[in-house]
Amino acid sequence: MKGFLGVDVGSVSTNLVVLDERGNVVSLIYRRTQGQPINAVKEGMKEIQADLPGDIEIIGVGTTGSARYLSGVMVGADIVKNEITAHAVAATHVVPQVRTVLEIGGQDSKIILLRDGIVIDFAMNTVCAAGTGSFLDHQSTRLGIPIEEFGSYALQADVSCQIAGRCSVFAESDMVHKQQMGYRMEDIIYGLCQALVRNYLNNLAKGKELLTPIVFQGGVAANAGMKKAFEEALQTEIVIPKHHHVMGAIGAALLARGTVRDGKTNFKGFEIASIDYQTRSFHCKGCENNCEIVRIQVSGKTLACWGGRCGKWEVATAEEAELLLQTSI
Amino acid sequence: MYFRSAWGCNLALSATIGIPQALLYYKYFPLWEGFLKGLGAEVVSSNITTKGVVNTGTSVAENELCLPVKIFFGHLIELKDKVDALFVPRVISVEQDTYTCPKFLALPDLARAIDVKLPKILDPTFNTRLGKRRFYNSIFEFGKLFTDSKYKTWRAWQSGLAAQKAYQQKLLMGIPPFEAIHGGIEEVSLTGDLRIGIAGHPYNVHDPYINLNLTKKLKKWGAQVVTEEMISPKTLEHEANKLPKRLFWSYEREVVGAAFHWLQTRSVDGIIYILSFACGQDSLIQVLLETEAKKHEGIPFMSLVIDEHSGEAGLITRVEAFIDMLRWRSLS
Repeated sequence: MKGFLGVDVGSVSTNLVVLDERGNVVSLIYRRTQGQPINAVKEGMKEIQADLPGDIEIIGVGTTGSARYLSGVMVGADIVKNEITAHAVAATHVVPQVRTVLEIGGQDSKIILLRDGIVIDFAMNTVCAAGTGSFLDHQSTRLGIPIEEFGSYALQADVSCQIAGRCSVFAESDMVHKQQMGYRMEDIIYGLCQALVRNYLNNLAKGKELLTPIVFQGGVAANAGMKKAFEEALQTEIVIPKHHHVMGAIGAALLARGTVRDGKTNFKGFEIASIDYQTRSFHCKGCENNCEIVRIQVSGKTLACWGGRCGKWEVATAEEAELLLQTSI
Repeated sequence: MYFRSAWGCNLALSATIGIPQALLYYKYFPLWEGFLKGLGAEVVSSNITTKGVVNTGTSVAENELCLPVKIFFGHLIELKDKVDALFVPRVISVEQDTYTCPKFLALPDLARAIDVKLPKILDPTFNTRLGKRRFYNSIFEFGKLFTDSKYKTWRAWQSGLAAQKAYQQKLLMGIPPFEAIHGGIEEVSLTGDLRIGIAGHPYNVHDPYINLNLTKKLKKWGAQVVTEEMISPKTLEHEANKLPKRLFWSYEREVVGAAFHWLQTRSVDGIIYILSFACGQDSLIQVLLETEAKKHEGIPFMSLVIDEHSGEAGLITRVEAFIDMLRWRSLS
């Protein structure tokens, strides 16, 4: 059996997906990045290998997410793509007629508008991460309610309680205040969902035409309270794909399927899970900017470097990187 | 011959005068250099913006100023020990019935207010609102610092204008300002399957530090880049006049004119607008451009807001996605 691997390493979660040649999900892994992307990818590779049928042959790999370059070097990606494109590709695969994608992840949120299967506009949160998964996570810890149950709490709200959602710090102050006033937890949690939806629509959807079908994906889509709040605000039904939490990885796998020709993949195999990767950073002395450059190594040998404003470190081969290292430090 | 009392200097005629490579440098450096050289001065410009320049600039500047002005201060400080005087003209107006940004009007005062000892600041006033005669009077007044001869000042100004004309010709051909000033590129061949218009103030569009190397990145990803300098002033004027009310800021009129021209002629696949976070004019222009872009289906428009806290990761993700979007369209 042949398959395509998609790896999405984000700020909060690291997701791996294997699709069959027709694009159906064969296996998926969703785990926390916990600030250690290398470890998360290695563990993820181990887990997904154990879960896959023995006769699987990976014939293409794609990576996405904020650690897409790092994970791309580790697994030997055939394609490294930004998460906006990956999410759009995955959404059109699952709901071909989709015209609006709402995506809320760990630390960023996006809106993507499509017409006839083509992205025509998008936006990503810029200066503020209020309303993303990290904040919900933080609140669930503070309130002592597991994040998985957040949604069901929200659905039990009788009245919604107005929470100031402009800034996550102030939102928290406001929630504390509402708790101290004696509001029910359910009402506060639903109020929070509404505040996050308001914040999202004001920040990202401002001036955009949100046409149906609307697909809501990303880790936060698991929260039924958020879905209800979106449906209320937009006055329409919202579709949540079955694998909403790993759509980025699905997109990366689909992009790999579109890229790899003649079965020539760069995939390094699941064995990379046992390789000891080290990352180092140093200041490039090439010019006065003294940019911080990251170097990923395996037993003293440089695999790749990146970072820096001029782009000279993003060279194609490890040999070129070694050469640059000799001249620029 | 010595500088006269108006500026309180007593520097020799062969004084070295510094021009910071920031803000209006990208518009007028050849004019200013030609003028000052014609008057007998040596001209030195600062080097391209680096992290050090940004750090010194932001550390001395008032917090509410925009990043380009903060960077301007960084360049002033970089020049301070290399020159006898700094050239910071007060550019009030460059065409009839318009103004420039309020920060340009106050630039010499802002520069004097920073907490670093700077050499003398020479701040001739350039103001065309009051008519040609008043404009030239201020040029002659400035010339008196160097010479008693009005004729010599006139000649110096004319040689500046000639240099400026040659510079603008080069820009029109698509040579970027840095290369147009310092040489290096004589001819531009635009290659790439996509054509992207970069709108914005020249000091944002052409300073690779401010825009996180956007132009180079776009070229690396196979896109051609066009900017407002490649459009004739007449066309810019004509397009900007399509707004129901005449914009009274000159440089912003050019930004609007360029974007409107690209939209009207459909000569680009997409437009990226670079704006400064703290810029008042930019925040208004952004809405005008977004509204106009919506009327021209099929030409995506994206704004990138930049300040000293801008992270490269977010910018790259957006620009990559923008390029993907344009390619995706052209495939279908």
